[in-house]
Amino acid sequence: MKKVIFPLLLGIFFLVVQTTWLTSFPIRRIRPDIVLILTLYLGISSPPISGGILAFILGYLMDLFSGNGFGLYAFSRPILFYGAQLFKDRIYLESVHSRSLFVFLFALAEGFLLLVLVKALNPEPLRNLYPLFFPVFLPQSLSTALLSSVLFPLFRKGSSLLYAQPGLGRGGKG
Amino acid sequence: MRIRDFLFRRYTVLTVVILLLLSALILISLRVKERKGVVFFDGLLMEICSPFQKTSTFVIKKVRGVFQGYLFLVDLHRENETLKKRMADLQRENDQMREMVQNQERLRKLLQFKETLSSTAIAAEVVGRDPSSWFKSVTLNKGEKEGIRKGMAVISPGGVIGQIFKTAPSHSVVLLITDYNSAIDSIVRRTRAKAIVEGGGENRCQLKYLLRAEDVAQGDRVVTSGLSGNFPKGLMIGEITKVDKKGHGIFQYAELAPSVDFTRLEEVLVIKEYLPPPPEEKGKKVKKTR
Repeated sequence: MKKVIFPLLLGIFFLVVQTTWLTSFPIRRIRPDIVLILTLYLGISSPPISGGILAFILGYLMDLFSGNGFGLYAFSRPILFYGAQLFKDRIYLESVHSRSLFVFLFALAEGFLLLVLVKALNPEPLRNLYPLFFPVFLPQSLSTALLSSVLFPLFRKGSSLLYAQPGLGRGGKG
Repeated sequence: MRIRDFLFRRYTVLTVVILLLLSALILISLRVKERKGVVFFDGLLMEICSPFQKTSTFVIKKVRGVFQGYLFLVDLHRENETLKKRMADLQRENDQMREMVQNQERLRKLLQFKETLSSTAIAAEVVGRDPSSWFKSVTLNKGEKEGIRKGMAVISPGGVIGQIFKTAPSHSVVLLITDYNSAIDSIVRRTRAKAIVEGGGENRCQLKYLLRAEDVAQGDRVVTSGLSGNFPKGLMIGEITKVDKKGHGIFQYAELAPSVDFTRLEEVLVIKEYLPPPPEEKGKKVKKTR
């Protein structure tokens, strides 16, 4: 239970920080998605069932405070979580660069997924949104990737202190 | 029994993955249909999370105030301690008073503006912003308890802010006019040309369905038409920054800079009850002014 409650509380805290502190940055486009970093960390360290449910809940909470009316994060975050689960043993994630690249690629993938879903689900045809990928998603993905190099070791340290082993229950089934 | 064994023992993870994604898809479908159950549950969860947001915003404001107040006093460390302390105290008092004066000035403007409206408006404070860069919304500290409902217009003395998008008992989310999903009926003040203002992302909007034959130019001001129901007529939306007639078709392209700086948004007014103008005024033809 501890392995679910702590990440959930941390996720809520991150969401609050993301909607308040991070929005007060002078450069508006550089706004790292720290909830995404947590979701990806859960993806490489949590058991698939409890971690997947956590990713879903975090996505649901993101949707509540977002101007997105469909609830797209509740859909995209579990996909990212299981994507991370799928690739965690195939990618070397011990170096700062590889971790940042991993987060960057996943952030970009989510950007694409959201664009496609927004275009597909909108009842009225939206104008071409794809050029906005560069001014909006690229800065966000880059800043998220950069911040992940700081947050991943902190998460690891935190989970080793809390659970007396690195990761949030690696290898378990839920 | 066999099915249960099959689902929950052999393919547990796969079943959970499918169930989670299915739940998300069902949620999307329910939200599109605006089912009450989902709206209620969303409101409940927002109500639980919003106080944290409110507290965080309060802390940020306080920290920022203190930081701004003391930042330029760093050099005075070289001077003697008594004088520094005295100056710091005076400066803090001064900053607090300035902040109070600024707050009062802002609130006075808001109140004056509220009195000019022929509608009932509720003042609310911005306590949070959209967690993602893609969508543009803000969270307010007023909700259903104060009579706020979905679709209500949100304005400020500077101009139009957006519309209420989600509500909870004591909080609500406003979809800003810069969001891609936002659309407001508008007219160009100088020529009375009709168009729809659509969100264009980062502090930018575009004019849609603006006829090519219409005379619009850079610097023209765009106001609400009063036809969309929620917004009173004549509220400032923004100023045209770019006009492009190069493309084909019957419409021209124009970009708009909103009159409100959404990055500095602190207090807003939610129009609770808008009283449209009497019918005889509605019927009058509007003369084109150049």
